Amino acid sequence: MKKSIRFRAGAGKKAICSILFLIGTFLAASVVGYLFRRIGFDETNIVLVYLLAVLATAWFTHSFVFGVLSSFLATFLFSYIFAQPEFTFLVDDANNYIVTFVIMTLTALITSALTSHARQSECAARVKEAQTKAIYALTNRLTGAKDMDDIAGAAVASISACFSCQAACLCFDSTGMPQRSFVQQVSSDLQVHRKLEENQQEYKDALEAVAPNCLKGKEFYDWPILGKETILGVIRIPSVAQVDGTGERLLRAMIEGTALAMDRHWSARQQMQFREETAKERYRSNLLRAISHDLRTPLAGIIGSCEMLLDMTDTGSPQYAIAADMHKETIWLHSLVENILSLTRLQDGSLSLSKQVEAVEEIIAGAVRRMAKRAPECIIHVDIPEKLILVPMDAKLIEQVLINLLSNAVLHANVKDPVDIIVSENTAEKTVQFVVQDRGVGIVEEDLPHIFEMFYTRGRGHADAGQGIGLGLAICETIVQAHGGKIIAENRKDGPGARFTFTLPVEE
Amino acid sequence: MERNKPLILVVEDDRQIQKFICYALESEGYPYITAGTGQEAISRLMSEHAEIMLLDLGLPDYDGLSIIKKVRQWSDIPILVVSARDQDREKAAALDSGADDYLTKPFSTTELLARIRVALRHLQKIGAGNTQAVLQVGGLQIDLERRLVHLDGVQIHVTPMEYSLLALLFRHMGKVLTTAFIIKEIWGPAYGTDTQALRALMAGLRRKIEKDHARPRYILTEVGVGYRLADE
Repeated sequence: MKKSIRFRAGAGKKAICSILFLIGTFLAASVVGYLFRRIGFDETNIVLVYLLAVLATAWFTHSFVFGVLSSFLATFLFSYIFAQPEFTFLVDDANNYIVTFVIMTLTALITSALTSHARQSECAARVKEAQTKAIYALTNRLTGAKDMDDIAGAAVASISACFSCQAACLCFDSTGMPQRSFVQQVSSDLQVHRKLEENQQEYKDALEAVAPNCLKGKEFYDWPILGKETILGVIRIPSVAQVDGTGERLLRAMIEGTALAMDRHWSARQQMQFREETAKERYRSNLLRAISHDLRTPLAGIIGSCEMLLDMTDTGSPQYAIAADMHKETIWLHSLVENILSLTRLQDGSLSLSKQVEAVEEIIAGAVRRMAKRAPECIIHVDIPEKLILVPMDAKLIEQVLINLLSNAVLHANVKDPVDIIVSENTAEKTVQFVVQDRGVGIVEEDLPHIFEMFYTRGRGHADAGQGIGLGLAICETIVQAHGGKIIAENRKDGPGARFTFTLPVEE
Repeated sequence: MERNKPLILVVEDDRQIQKFICYALESEGYPYITAGTGQEAISRLMSEHAEIMLLDLGLPDYDGLSIIKKVRQWSDIPILVVSARDQDREKAAALDSGADDYLTKPFSTTELLARIRVALRHLQKIGAGNTQAVLQVGGLQIDLERRLVHLDGVQIHVTPMEYSLLALLFRHMGKVLTTAFIIKEIWGPAYGTDTQALRALMAGLRRKIEKDHARPRYILTEVGVGYRLADE
């Protein structure tokens, strides 16, 4: 963009120029007419000279007003100077001259109207072309821009060249706050950084208040660059370089182009960040899964070995107690590893739900039976409607939810206190509600919001890891949510104890 | 070792679990042979007269399913599948392709020996021709000839469908029957895999024979796999 296009009005200057031109042209035309008269040419030629002057005026001034003015001036001058008798408005051959005057005036009017119209459209086309070129050039530069600074640089360079001023650009960062400095174009090939004087927050608020219009300061007009959601930056134009209607439209178009480029840049960056995070997350869960997978088989082996040891030793001996502890801890470790495996599978989507229509009573019975095997001393009360309830679900996973909740209850309650499972159907909401509640110590109030978080255990930092089930509740939440259900944890209102409630939709 | 007990083939690649299984078998006086790979399992099965096969689904060379299919081409040997917890679908597939029962790791010696006893009883019944017309589990009795069901000595009325279901379970007493297998047997192969009718049928039957349907005594649900008629 070497060529600079001026859009500044200078309307007064232009008018004076036009008047001077008008006077000069008609003076010349009159002189030429006078010479023609002396030479002895016909009057018709003098009329044609005046028409030429009208045409020239309309062409030069682009203005219909000057065209009309010059048309009447031509007839007036002709009648005054050349029509017989000369230098009076009186005419001898009135009828003849009137026809001449009328035709001359009409011809002059039509000529000037056509000419000025043609000139005006030509001018408009040129302006439009220049604008298109300017925007095209800016777009080109923006396409090549690699980062926000590049975009800002391209924008200020194009805008400065277009409006012959020292435009500046301030970008907003990813948090939506203005950066500390502007990029300013000081000459055609030099850009400098200029500090933002205003307070960032106040400045942002002020801009937001006026957007999408410009913020008018004493020295500068600040145009916000509006993105899809927020302000992405500011274009600062010196107030002396203020632009007229056409110019403002161009400026807005250029700012819009810059906004598009910035939006594109941000969304590309966001996408990249998202991809990176996903990759990291996947790597983490793959690692976790690989470790868990490798731990599982030896753990199952150790459990077996412990059982062998238990079988070989006397129940009263200290060795038996040690082996029993080992056995218990290893079983816990094994279930933790299994939990990690199911959780990572569920979360990265590699374990898809295989839903079938299942009878709720069968799932409860399955969970109770497995619990009885695992903790034979615990007492479980089941309260389930006599009516058959069918729910589409992945039976194994929902059984797992129940087992995790039951294990949790057994872990935190006295063995002698029963754990309740209560099932009820809500026909209005088309859901089935499962409640697992215990008579234990309940949940510490501050733990309640975090209870379903991964690796959150009651009383963090407690050395006895066996006291928490860590992942169990996180798995419950993941499974229930994957079924389109909800799970909540609360303390019982009817005395001590915790209550976990989850609901499953009856229809898919 | 007593020679009248059947020879058991243990196919397991993890040495510790293999040791544990063998220890359990030894304690009950079962003779056994071992194999660490699918290839070895097939060749040992061909060379020695094993009567029960314990098969881990996660072998290094073959996947469990293809071994079951291969073995089933020429042998009716009871196959007990050993699997990890997240192999439920493979477990059901293994049962459908001919395995007789399954164990989920980690299991106890008690569980292992109980499953082996069930498999042996089947073996004996097949050997004896299994012509018994009246079968009984606890207080539940079925007369396959006269199509009658008694609970604690009192005759109970069951619908023809419920009777077919119960008879099917009795014929495979102690064995896990997959939902797919039961649906195929009762409704025919054209019925598809919709479980809803089976769940409803099962619920109706249970309400007639079980005192507490949250803790069934006779028909146990193997969640995600199928049903089993308890025989102990």
